Amino acid sequence: MGTTDTTSIQAHIPIRLLAEGEALVKAGWFRDLDDLFIEALRRYLDSHRPELTERFLQQDVDWGLHGGD
Amino acid sequence: MAATNEVICDAGPLIHLDELSALDLLADFSAVFVPQEVWAEVEHHRPEALLCAEVSLSRITVQVAADPAFDTLVHTLSLGAGEQAAIRLARQRSTAMLLTDDAAARLAAEGLGLRVHGTLGILIRAVRRGQRTPQDVIELLQSLPNRSSLHIRTDLLSGIANQLRTEYGLSETSSGG
Repeated sequence: MGTTDTTSIQAHIPIRLLAEGEALVKAGWFRDLDDLFIEALRRYLDSHRPELTERFLQQDVDWGLHGGD
Repeated sequence: MAATNEVICDAGPLIHLDELSALDLLADFSAVFVPQEVWAEVEHHRPEALLCAEVSLSRITVQVAADPAFDTLVHTLSLGAGEQAAIRLARQRSTAMLLTDDAAARLAAEGLGLRVHGTLGILIRAVRRGQRTPQDVIELLQSLPNRSSLHIRTDLLSGIANQLRTEYGLSETSSGG
C-alpha cells in the first residue's frame, strides 16, 4: 500500500465503535486505526456495488407490492 | 414456489425495523427465527430490538455441517458470522424466507437459490398485508435517512414512494402531509 496516495479525513463515529476498533489494534490484529478503517471501508465498498443494491431494492419493491406471502 | 410464513432474520432487518418502530411488521409471520450469532450481534448493537412485545423472536442454534463449497462462498464474500448462520439456517429450512439487508449476504443467498428479501420489502409488504396504510409507509420511507442506519439513496426512496402512490392511486399532494 506504500505507493497509494492518501488523504486525511475527520469523522464523527460512535465512541463504542471506536473503542472496539482500538481494542483490535491493541490486540495486534491491525497495525493502527488507519489500517482498520481502510480495511473496513474496502470491505464495505467491495460488497455494496450500487447496481447490485438497486436491483435488490427493486426486487423488494416488486415483492412488497405484488408478492403472495 | 410454495409460499411459507417462516422468516429467518439477519441482524440488519431487526435493527432497521426497530429504528423505524416497525418490528411489529414481522408479527404476521408464523415464525421469526433468529440464529444465535445474529442474536448476539443485535444484542450488542441494539438490544432493545430483541425486546419488542409485538413479535415473538425464536432464538435458534444453527447446526453446522461440513460444506466446503459453502465455506468458500462465504469467505469469498467476507460474510460475517451472523450472515453465515442466517444463510445456513435458510438452507436447512428451505421454504423459509431469509431477511437481510447485507448486499453480499443477499448475493450469496440468491446464488444458493434461497428466497431472500430485506427491510424495504417488509415495509412495502405492510400495505399489501393491511398492517399500514400506503401513506404510513410513504412517511416511513421519507423518514428513513434520519431515523435508520439503512442507507438508501434519497432519489431512489423518492422513486419508490412514487411507485407506491401510483400503485395505490395517491396523488403526491395527498400523500405529502
